[in-house]
Amino acid sequence: MRVRNGGGAPVLHLEEHEAALLRELASETKTLFEADIPRADPVVARLFPDAYEDPADAQTYHDLVGGELRSEKARALEAVTQSLGPSGDAAVTLDDELTSAWLAWLADVRLAVGTRLGVTAETMGAEVDPGSPEAPAYEVLHWLGWIQESIIERVHRPGAH
Amino acid sequence: MTAAPAIAPEKVEDVSRDEATDLERPWLVIVWDDPINLMSYVTWVFQKLFGYSHEKATKLMLDVHHKGKAVVASGPREKSELDVYRLHAHGLWATLTKSD
Repeated sequence: MRVRNGGGAPVLHLEEHEAALLRELASETKTLFEADIPRADPVVARLFPDAYEDPADAQTYHDLVGGELRSEKARALEAVTQSLGPSGDAAVTLDDELTSAWLAWLADVRLAVGTRLGVTAETMGAEVDPGSPEAPAYEVLHWLGWIQESIIERVHRPGAH
Repeated sequence: MTAAPAIAPEKVEDVSRDEATDLERPWLVIVWDDPINLMSYVTWVFQKLFGYSHEKATKLMLDVHHKGKAVVASGPREKSELDVYRLHAHGLWATLTKSD
């Protein structure tokens, strides 16, 4: 994975195995945005938080904008999926719209993976024991963060190499 | 400093209680700390959604990180609710509340 300057807009280069993993994650997150999963699921509760402390106000907010919020997240996911192409490696030109879609989607996937893992500030900062059954998920979490960070750095400092 | 001019009682009655309260007490958009979102991402979101400078966005992000939460915007209820919606669309944990 690397982000380089194209003819103006940054280009996200992904090797075949990296693009394949992202396609897999994209298809897994799709169900989170399309299905009406009960809010008892901690991942759903984190991706679609209460806007108000008051339960009645919070419910009104969910009733009012919950569907649109799901659609908006699904649209970002769709844009990411399209930009990855169906197979092979990928070179994604990050115009403003795709930059937003990628960063928001990466945030959602990291929230889903991290919430499922039950991460805390301590476990996020700690070295992961490679023998732990959770190690692969932490690895994905940090790898997605690295992609996110690399895109943001390029957006902030377009001339940097 | 000078005292506010006295308002005639009949003038006060023209304004409904709710409207008067809304004018005086804006809604606050609060972002809460979470262990997953990256500091650089949260800063980017504040810049993108609110048009804040990198410095201001970074300061707010650090407030969220160190204090557990920060008020990132304020205003009428509808606008604040939209701000919260946009923050949710970007994966940030945000709520709105009426200021004290």
